Amino acid sequence: MHGSTSASGAPTEGTADRGHRWRQLHRIAPLLLLVLGVAAIIGSRQLGLGELTAPGPGLWPFIVSLLLTGTAAVLVLIDPAEDYEPWTRGTIRIIAGLVSLGVFILLFQTFGFVVSAFLMLVLWLRVFGGESWRWTLGLAVGGTAVMYLLFVELLGVPFPEGLVDAVIGG
Amino acid sequence: MDSWDGILQGFSVALTPTNLLYVFFGVLIGTVIGVLPGLGPTASIALLLPITYTVEPVTAIILLAGIYYGSMYGGTITSVLLRLPGEAASVVTTFDGYQMAKQGRAGPALGIAAIGSYIGGTVSVIGMILLAPPLADLAVSFGPPEYVALTILGILLVTYLGTGSVLKSLCMAALGLLLATIGLDPITGTARFTFGEVALFNGLDFVAVAMGLFGVGEILHSLERTDKVQAVTSKIKGIWPTRKDFRDSSGAIGRGSLLGFVIGVLPGGGGVVSSLASYAMEKRRAKDPSRFGKGAIEGVAGPETANNASSTSAFIPLLTLGIPPNVVLALIFGALIQQNITPGPQLIEQEPEIFWGVIASMVIGNMMLLALNIPLVGVFVQMLRVRAGILAAFALLVTMVGVFSVNNNAFDMWVVLGFGVIGWLMKKTGFEPGPLVLAFVLGSILERAFRQSMLLSGGDLDIFVTRPISGGMFAFMALIIIVSAITSRRRKAVFGRVDPADVDETDESAPDADRQVTAEGSPGADSTTDTTAGTPTDGPSGSTSTTPGER
Repeated sequence: MHGSTSASGAPTEGTADRGHRWRQLHRIAPLLLLVLGVAAIIGSRQLGLGELTAPGPGLWPFIVSLLLTGTAAVLVLIDPAEDYEPWTRGTIRIIAGLVSLGVFILLFQTFGFVVSAFLMLVLWLRVFGGESWRWTLGLAVGGTAVMYLLFVELLGVPFPEGLVDAVIGG
Repeated sequence: MDSWDGILQGFSVALTPTNLLYVFFGVLIGTVIGVLPGLGPTASIALLLPITYTVEPVTAIILLAGIYYGSMYGGTITSVLLRLPGEAASVVTTFDGYQMAKQGRAGPALGIAAIGSYIGGTVSVIGMILLAPPLADLAVSFGPPEYVALTILGILLVTYLGTGSVLKSLCMAALGLLLATIGLDPITGTARFTFGEVALFNGLDFVAVAMGLFGVGEILHSLERTDKVQAVTSKIKGIWPTRKDFRDSSGAIGRGSLLGFVIGVLPGGGGVVSSLASYAMEKRRAKDPSRFGKGAIEGVAGPETANNASSTSAFIPLLTLGIPPNVVLALIFGALIQQNITPGPQLIEQEPEIFWGVIASMVIGNMMLLALNIPLVGVFVQMLRVRAGILAAFALLVTMVGVFSVNNNAFDMWVVLGFGVIGWLMKKTGFEPGPLVLAFVLGSILERAFRQSMLLSGGDLDIFVTRPISGGMFAFMALIIIVSAITSRRRKAVFGRVDPADVDETDESAPDADRQVTAEGSPGADSTTDTTAGTPTDGPSGSTSTTPGER
């Protein structure tokens, strides 16, 4: 895709100086892949390549990582980067959202489903969705209840024991 | 088994109350997600994968298939009314469908799309009944080298049918193949790339990878865009097309059915390519091509028929060869593998109830869709009122909790999150997740077939080219690579001509959305230029368009 098609409306072109810096930054993605590919080649060799007549466990990963390394190496050199999307203010929100998902998993493991699901819905609806408090609380309470019934009562998924379970006595 | 007996057995499976219910759920969910912007068929199927563990394999695939072809119907609605394709295959429908809506003919546009889709789906099912058993018979004689060729062909075509950089897609396919090797070596039992993590001994969980890349990744990516969707408040009148409409579009529907069927069977086929090809074909055949892009009903009927026909016939390679031809089918393939069902030539013999049950469910599902769509379009349109933020919050919660429920293991939640980040970054940097997931699914098949081939031939790579079928397939692949290398300049020219507004609105979640710019190596390829040239360029984007049907 064209890099200019993002619809977020934030400034996309930037100054020439920033644009120039971009041209170097965009090589990070293929570089990472290249590093991964080389690491995989080394790893496969350590696993043992064997012979074509008697392939070892490392032979196939070796072939595949050669392909990965080769394509990544070419991309580092020639990737036109015209299909990159610009980083916008929305990006920061997304990163915050990702962190919140990580926190959700931790809360889920410690406090169980009800508390963590409710908090996550409140956060996402209010902060990332921009809903009013009335909609946020209504949807969060309703959503948590419906999902609890669906997963725990109907599907019988054994969620980690949590605060509310202790109160209910389940 | 005789086909007729098979069909009867299929209906006896598909007509059980449970399966009827799941067909209905499938097509309903499919239609709804086709309407909702920001959740395409791939993301939805990825999100719903955990549910499939709680039901029988045949019920699972019936549900997922229903979502797939149901979404082909649903995507039409927003394309016509708002010039906002809910999924990729409906992009073409915006060309003439939206123009029809502007002329107050939204009803007939939706009606003919639903009827065409029904006919296309039905023709495709009949074709499947006729073609699948002989194809499976042929495939029984395939040895490991043929499977190597077939798998590589599938991966290659998916990478070539993406947008932009073929190299990036190949790179992602390689990454997918590499990720598939994580876990215990199937032959020697050596732990590979597990870093001592016991949770990785069985490999990365397919569901977690798919849900991360498509579910979380796509949701995050679509959240970053703040497109506002206008609700359609006016009533849509006159859904049932007039006799003249039928006369005008009957040819397009007939041709679309056949074209869609053929394209769907080919690896890399599926909705998008077929709808583009059908549009180009209708425009070329028309006495007055200038009507196209200005509300020609054939321009809606043909592509809509074709995309539904192809989404049905795409099941043929999956169920007879065990090779998913596109990413959605790769997810369904993965779901079956998790249920210990390996799709392939033996499926018809060994699991006839799955094979014929799915076919029969498609007949029923298409009827349900027709019955749902004609009277209930107005209801589905109201779905557009659901705000993207609400949708994202719930979709993410369902994803996280859903993936936990598969193995009751919090490790999988971290895998989903990790792949969600990767999927989002891939979207940002122009790498497509589709080839990665397809390669990940096919990786273990490919490795096993490759190693078996080496044992067969005594380490001689000639085995791949000296056997007629695999040799032919490799020759075909070489042809694709050469042809695309020669025409890559033209491909860029075509790519540059696509109206960004149209591309922009589509690729919210369907990873194959970008495929509206098709590449070489498919029947739709040569016609791409015509199609994209016909893109109406009035109005900056669908989101700013006026509410249709007001006049």
